[in-house]
Amino acid sequence: MPHVRFTHLLGFAFLVAVLAASAAHAHHGWAWATDEEFEITGTIQSMRLGNPHGEVTIDVDGEAWVVEVGQPWRNDRVGLSKEILSVGREMTVHGHRSAKEGERLVKAERIVIDGTNYDLYPGRDS
Amino acid sequence: MIEPALVFVENLAFVSALRNSTLAYPLINAGHILGVALLIGGIVPLDLRLMGFWRHYPVMVFVDVLRVTSAFGLGLAVVCGSLLFATAAVDYAGSMLFRVKMVVVLLGVSNALLLARVLKRRDIRSLPMGASMPLPLRAGALMSLVFWMSALTLGRLLGYF
Repeated sequence: MPHVRFTHLLGFAFLVAVLAASAAHAHHGWAWATDEEFEITGTIQSMRLGNPHGEVTIDVDGEAWVVEVGQPWRNDRVGLSKEILSVGREMTVHGHRSAKEGERLVKAERIVIDGTNYDLYPGRDS
Repeated sequence: MIEPALVFVENLAFVSALRNSTLAYPLINAGHILGVALLIGGIVPLDLRLMGFWRHYPVMVFVDVLRVTSAFGLGLAVVCGSLLFATAAVDYAGSMLFRVKMVVVLLGVSNALLLARVLKRRDIRSLPMGASMPLPLRAGALMSLVFWMSALTLGRLLGYF
């Protein structure tokens, strides 16, 4: 009969927690993106606002880039709405791009449309 | 085909409200996690007991208690999970990870229903203390562990791929 020691279980739980934490790092927050400030301008192709966060696809010289905007309250706070992100409009994104080589994905800190700033993360430099 | 139905679900008033909510979405998300926690938290010790761990504790204590908490957890996870699915039905339905997860969940449920029948037929209540469980039960318990751990892992991966 296998005999399980409490300390073994504790060790296993710790290992699982570390693995889970590193997996969470992969997407939430900023750790999955590069530290370098990034700027890109394109034309809005499609967008989906809502939880867990909105996604806007922009066309940049024929290439599609996905821009992650905020969760509903963050977008609402700066007035970034469906109407403002309408298809065909030009927008400039200030933020951080994915650290994964070749992945065209940016997490937005600030968005500029028609000269108006929508600063999603006022506490961060952009 | 099925696409219009998915779009219809996404556009239901309460689903749109949930998608754009500040608090409701994370709370439903928490409900889903609570459901999974209860399910896994119950099924793991139950399966391990059936497989031969903790033989000096009566098996029916595990079966009678943990079966109920696990089933309740599964129910909660299914209800909250369906709501989360509805907010982005087209995307989820198109995701291979999601489809595989649903198949694994169905396998887990079928396996659990089958195990329940075996439990009843084999009358394990009258087995002597410390006895090894019949082979079909041990095999079913191992499969249960594999199915539910896989379902959890696939669910978590869904958020990242």
